[in-house]
Amino acid sequence: MNRKCIAMLLAGGQGSRLYALTKDVAKPSVPFGGKYRIIDFPLSNCANSGIDVVGVLTQYKPLQLNSYIGSGQAYDLDSSDGGVFILPPYQSAGEKGSWFSGTANAIYQNIAFIENYDPENVLILSGDHIYKMDYSDMLREHVQHGADCTIAVKQVSLEEATRFGILSCGEDGYINEFEEKPKKPKSDLASMGIYIFNWKKLREYLIADEADPDSDKDFGKNIIPKMLAAGEKLWPYRFDGYWRDVGTIVSLWDANMDMLSSTLINLYDPDWPIRSKSPIKPPHYAGPDSSINHSIVTEGCEIYGEVSNSVLSSSVTVGRGAHVFYSILMPGSKVEDGAVVRYAIIGENTVVRAGARVGSDPDGSDEWNVATCGPGIEVGAGAVIKAGAMIYDSVPAGEGSDEQ
Amino acid sequence: MINLHGLILADRSSRDLRELVMIRTSSSLPFAGRYRLIDFALSNLQNAGVRDVGVVMQRNYSSLLDHIGSGKEWDMSRKRGGLKLLPPFTGSGEYEGIIDALENVRGYIEDIKQDYVALMRGSLAASIDMSAVMYQHVKSGADITAVCTNVTPEGEHHRFIVGEDGFAKEIMLRRVGPGEGVVTLEVYVMSKEVLLGIIDRCDNALNHKFHRDGLGGLLAAGGKIGIYMHDDYAVHITSVNGYYKASMDMLDRELRRQLFPEDRPVRTKGRSDVSTYYGDKAVSRNSLVADGCIIEGSLENCVIFRGVRVGAGAVLKNCIIMQDTVVSEGVGLNYVISDKDVFISKDVTLSGSPRLPLVLPKGSRV
Repeated sequence: MNRKCIAMLLAGGQGSRLYALTKDVAKPSVPFGGKYRIIDFPLSNCANSGIDVVGVLTQYKPLQLNSYIGSGQAYDLDSSDGGVFILPPYQSAGEKGSWFSGTANAIYQNIAFIENYDPENVLILSGDHIYKMDYSDMLREHVQHGADCTIAVKQVSLEEATRFGILSCGEDGYINEFEEKPKKPKSDLASMGIYIFNWKKLREYLIADEADPDSDKDFGKNIIPKMLAAGEKLWPYRFDGYWRDVGTIVSLWDANMDMLSSTLINLYDPDWPIRSKSPIKPPHYAGPDSSINHSIVTEGCEIYGEVSNSVLSSSVTVGRGAHVFYSILMPGSKVEDGAVVRYAIIGENTVVRAGARVGSDPDGSDEWNVATCGPGIEVGAGAVIKAGAMIYDSVPAGEGSDEQ
Repeated sequence: MINLHGLILADRSSRDLRELVMIRTSSSLPFAGRYRLIDFALSNLQNAGVRDVGVVMQRNYSSLLDHIGSGKEWDMSRKRGGLKLLPPFTGSGEYEGIIDALENVRGYIEDIKQDYVALMRGSLAASIDMSAVMYQHVKSGADITAVCTNVTPEGEHHRFIVGEDGFAKEIMLRRVGPGEGVVTLEVYVMSKEVLLGIIDRCDNALNHKFHRDGLGGLLAAGGKIGIYMHDDYAVHITSVNGYYKASMDMLDRELRRQLFPEDRPVRTKGRSDVSTYYGDKAVSRNSLVADGCIIEGSLENCVIFRGVRVGAGAVLKNCIIMQDTVVSEGVGLNYVISDKDVFISKDVTLSGSPRLPLVLPKGSRV
């Protein structure tokens, strides 16, 4: 069974810069934009691009992700001769099994899976970006230019460029230089961490890289530079659509706020639906004294208080007299009567008890930041959580209120 | 797996539903912002562990076919058994009543593997714990167990007078308004043999009524009809007014909880909609709003289905707006039921009354 292209999605990372939000789940299963989890974006892009075999490499706390993806039915990826496959690290006969030690090693350990499909090309994706991309268009360019590897790139400002892998191109348009997080960037083309490789080529490099004791077994640090050094053909696929990293609290908050503007990313587009596993809930209810402005609200919510500039996931409750401003309320969270949540992220199933206050408006100081309450905890009645706080465990009633 | 087979009657629609059933049967009538009425029957069976279900259909069933599909949403797409759609196989396809419909699918009933059958209508909005009904049925030794309510519905209904032993003494047909006894929700659990016996009992034109001749005949012959009381919300949707009232009932938190209990979810066909967006000047008061909407105007006492657009300055009061309808800027609507895919142009004002809501048929342009 020969295929033009299959996808391998790297979903094993912890996302440690999301702190409390990823204490129990891998980053790709963090809720996003009301209806979604982060992994819905690359998986929907695969389904919409006609890629029907997707291997999802998991490692860190994969349980929620496994059950969320299931058979891939939500993405219409549950076909008879393809599908979504969860690929945890495993042990082979006579060998000592080992964890994935880097992005390249994760693919190396799954060479046998890829060989099952005998693909011409392999698309490598990560589960930490929000974007809509037609991978079939990228594949077309890859084939047209006879590239061994095509890297999706996006133009960024030179200040931002220091945070990315930066590519430079020669006059022929092919990539001739790649620098990981350069101090003095030579170009403004950032790698989006989306690669299409000619599989036979990639296989050679993975095997060679695995044998190299000095390698970090990483695509950006090792495989790409080695291919460049060997004179392989690397082509940049220019992407100018919406693309956001959601690897930090601030970027996650920012990208959620972007969902309030359909001009940034249009999720209503019937030709490119972002699919998700919808919870089974009745429509949301807006109470007689509720006020909801410039916000998105999802099924199962019950809103009795005031909500503005916020993103509410499924089954969120906002009690009477409660205020929610510039905040993200993840699935099943509750803001009880009279509580105030400003510039905050409230994790899944977390309860903010009556009269508690979480976060505060930006005051221009360097210490100010979005306040975050991790999943499954309780902020006790009347407690006060300061701006920028990162809360892992429940907070007793009234705590912090005297410091005001 | 539970020893129970589901048989849903989705054959007839009441004429009083008028425009709402021009293009569909009442079983596929959109309800409560994201459901179709048959979702309740299917989910009641699913939540009790029933996987083998026949849906008896008669006409106007294209929207029902489209909605149910393979039954995947209710876990009824199985290798063996599962969901089976039963359109008219033979004859004119004009069913006079329940007995006609059952006679038409007699072969299917005979082949049922389970010992018990749950017979119910596709137009009943109720969350019924069918495993509890089944438990009571088997334990009580009744020939039939009828799910009943104390709430008097609008329009004609049948009642049972209950004896001291808890079994029905008498059936009272086609009653209107409050009265003696309990009201049947027309959800019945019985053995396959009893069901076939009822069909046999009603074998000619003179005794062809399910309730009068089938159940009445069973009682007369000494059969036992047990009563299972359903205390939560339940309504048969049989008229535009009834539909409107039941929809508005869903704005009540307690009634909503009764129809959508946490532990028995009601499933429906998914659409992968986005969350609903409320604009800067949007107002939403005492309203139920599904996903995929863009609300820029103002809502009060409304039920809004998936994918509806409400433009800036539009004011909607006491309305039911079905999926993908566009309400343009400045529109004023009061007591209006808009079917699917309706387009209402700028600054139009339409008003019905509480007793007579105005119905805009599917796909119309105003």
